[in-house]
Amino acid sequence: MKTKVIVPAALGAAFLLMGVLLLTKSEAPSPAGAVSQPEPAVVAVAAPEPMEAPAPVELPASTAEKPERACLDCHRYANINTNEGVLAANGMCNECHADPACDRTINGHKASLHVTPEELGKYPHEFVACVQCHADVARSPHQSDAGAQCRTCHSVHGEKTAHAPHLRVDCQACHRRSEMVRLDKTDHRVKLAGVDADGKPVDLTDHRLAEADSEDNCRKCHRADNEVGAPAAILPAKSALCILCHPAPLAFGHPIFALAILIGVAGVFLTLRFWLQGSVEGEERSMHRKIDLGAEAVWRTVFSRKFFSMLRVLFLDILLQRRILKESVARWSVHSLIYTAILARFALSLLAGIRFWFDPENPMALALMDKNHGFTGFIHDLLGLFILAGIVWVVIRRYVVKPEHVVTEIADNVAVALIGLLVVFGFIAEGVRITVSQIPPELGIHSFIGYFLSQLFSLSDWNWQRVYPWLWWIHALLGAAFVAYLPFGKMRHMFNTPLTYLIEDVSGVKREKRV
Amino acid sequence: MMENSPIENDAVRRFSVFHRFLHIFVMISFTFLAVTGFSLSFSDQGWAGLVVSMLGGAESAAGFHRFCAALFYLVVVSHLIWLGYFKVVLKGRWTGPHTMIPNSTDWENILQNFRYIFGKGKPPLFNRFSYLEKIDYWAVLLGMQSMGVTGLLMWHPEAFSAVLPGYAINIANEFHFHEAILAVGYIGVVHMTSTHLTPEAFPLEKSIFNGRIARRRLKAEHPGEWKDRYAPTAPSEGTTDPADAAS
Repeated sequence: MKTKVIVPAALGAAFLLMGVLLLTKSEAPSPAGAVSQPEPAVVAVAAPEPMEAPAPVELPASTAEKPERACLDCHRYANINTNEGVLAANGMCNECHADPACDRTINGHKASLHVTPEELGKYPHEFVACVQCHADVARSPHQSDAGAQCRTCHSVHGEKTAHAPHLRVDCQACHRRSEMVRLDKTDHRVKLAGVDADGKPVDLTDHRLAEADSEDNCRKCHRADNEVGAPAAILPAKSALCILCHPAPLAFGHPIFALAILIGVAGVFLTLRFWLQGSVEGEERSMHRKIDLGAEAVWRTVFSRKFFSMLRVLFLDILLQRRILKESVARWSVHSLIYTAILARFALSLLAGIRFWFDPENPMALALMDKNHGFTGFIHDLLGLFILAGIVWVVIRRYVVKPEHVVTEIADNVAVALIGLLVVFGFIAEGVRITVSQIPPELGIHSFIGYFLSQLFSLSDWNWQRVYPWLWWIHALLGAAFVAYLPFGKMRHMFNTPLTYLIEDVSGVKREKRV
Repeated sequence: MMENSPIENDAVRRFSVFHRFLHIFVMISFTFLAVTGFSLSFSDQGWAGLVVSMLGGAESAAGFHRFCAALFYLVVVSHLIWLGYFKVVLKGRWTGPHTMIPNSTDWENILQNFRYIFGKGKPPLFNRFSYLEKIDYWAVLLGMQSMGVTGLLMWHPEAFSAVLPGYAINIANEFHFHEAILAVGYIGVVHMTSTHLTPEAFPLEKSIFNGRIARRRLKAEHPGEWKDRYAPTAPSEGTTDPADAAS
């Protein structure tokens, strides 16, 4: 009995709901009305005068002569995944844009919007529908808010292609042939300019792509006294050696960096060769036998209960530096400030690199690669500050306080100087970068040291665009020297000490207190 | 040092760390290659859908398949580099009792083994590697070349169809699929049974994992190897014989 009552009630409720929905829907603003007002993101490079709102599109007179159509000929969702669909969809665009008279007026100047299908056929996007990239133009009013979209199909390229993949630069700024670029102050991105310095519209109908990796193309922005905040010189992309502190590609990069990596790797091999010298049972050369026996020992240790004790050493003695803490709290603090901060920067860079490798669209990877991202800017500055504080403490201990048991050798001085200068020049370069690229305060403030320095630098009227490349090179060469020097100097303790801890643990050697 | 010595009283070493390492890599990558590959080719089956969804979709499963294939081929390349090292640096011999190259002894061993199986003779006396182990080895080494080439064709069909006719991709596809069945069938039926399902090794043949084999077993199963390397007349255990170093 009950169901009979419930069913009509439910039906009634459903009708009521539908009615309400229909009502609210009709009250809602129409989608066309919701479209935000014209993009006048197009601002002149030199003369940022406000331009007049785009005139409504006047349909060419020829349209009237076109045959009559059914509504759905145009008002449909084009299937642009097939060549036929692309041709059909482009046919609609070509009705106007293939007409040489197709243009619009910007700042009182006529700008051609004439695109011939024959010309388009020569470009790399021959079989791509216009509306694939110009995704928001097929509507009324006929204009684009977002511009052509590259990233619906393409991913951002990595560090290897362009320094810090130019995350604040539109794809088109480099990849299109137009020479005119501008810095959009509203979203702080470098874009193609729609109008030149005199307010005359730039012809953007050429759909050919630029040779993005030619240096001439980079000089659109990277030239002296540019308006978009680019350094005056073309700097190389980062190298794999930068990964100790920055997200970096898996590539040698500039020959100098390649050399530094090769010297570092050669140093590791020389060290290994030195360890494997000597003989086991009086043979002339026993390297093979030593590797063989060593590998056997490692194999048996890893696949045994000792593995867990090795894990403990790895966590407590190597990661948390327990043995140094037992010796001296001050020493542990100094060491941790430097070592933990470098390790954290390395881990973050590695995370960014790996995530980007597997998924170039990954928002976390892109955030970690973006120096101006709030988190990245803040954490990089904070960790840099830790390293610097550690180095300052070391300098005070070694050269001012001079406790008796601390012996300072040349190797110590070199290591301290390398790391200290590396960080100092890193901060200076960051400050100048923020000054040059005119990062607005709400973005730059997260890099609290870099932004402070940038404010300081902007007090001077030096041509920072020309200074920045020098600072970048000094920082990069110091980094290269650091990596090349790793296996030779003081820094080799990064490998030696953990290895010693592990071997001592496995072989059960009684550890004597080290000073 | 004695506790870590590779040769203990009751066991002798049969596989070096390098070979154990490679075997683990081959084992893992082969298993995942089979699982991902068959899940994709038998996509209409329920279990395939389950596996593919666990791997994050067909694209992801295909990516995983290619990753494992690259890993597998890396093992092949490492092995070839090692062969060069064995020959040039260690001055090893590719023939002799430790050979992987098939020879007339293998043929005699096969006949002898069948006579033994049917109760008409004694078991054959193998050298370092029995004919079954040689088949295992060559099946992988040669099979990986054809699987690699056909797989590469399907991985980059655009690049290859620029030089080859389009149907080459289809042929590659057929070849890859059927050879995969052959390989998985061979590993599953012959390799697994001939190693694990022998009375001496059952339930698990561990020597490829810990590198060791009991003296008694080596003597019985590979008397050729035993005689050459560990028998009292042969050089002592600390021998520097290249073949030993290469083991």
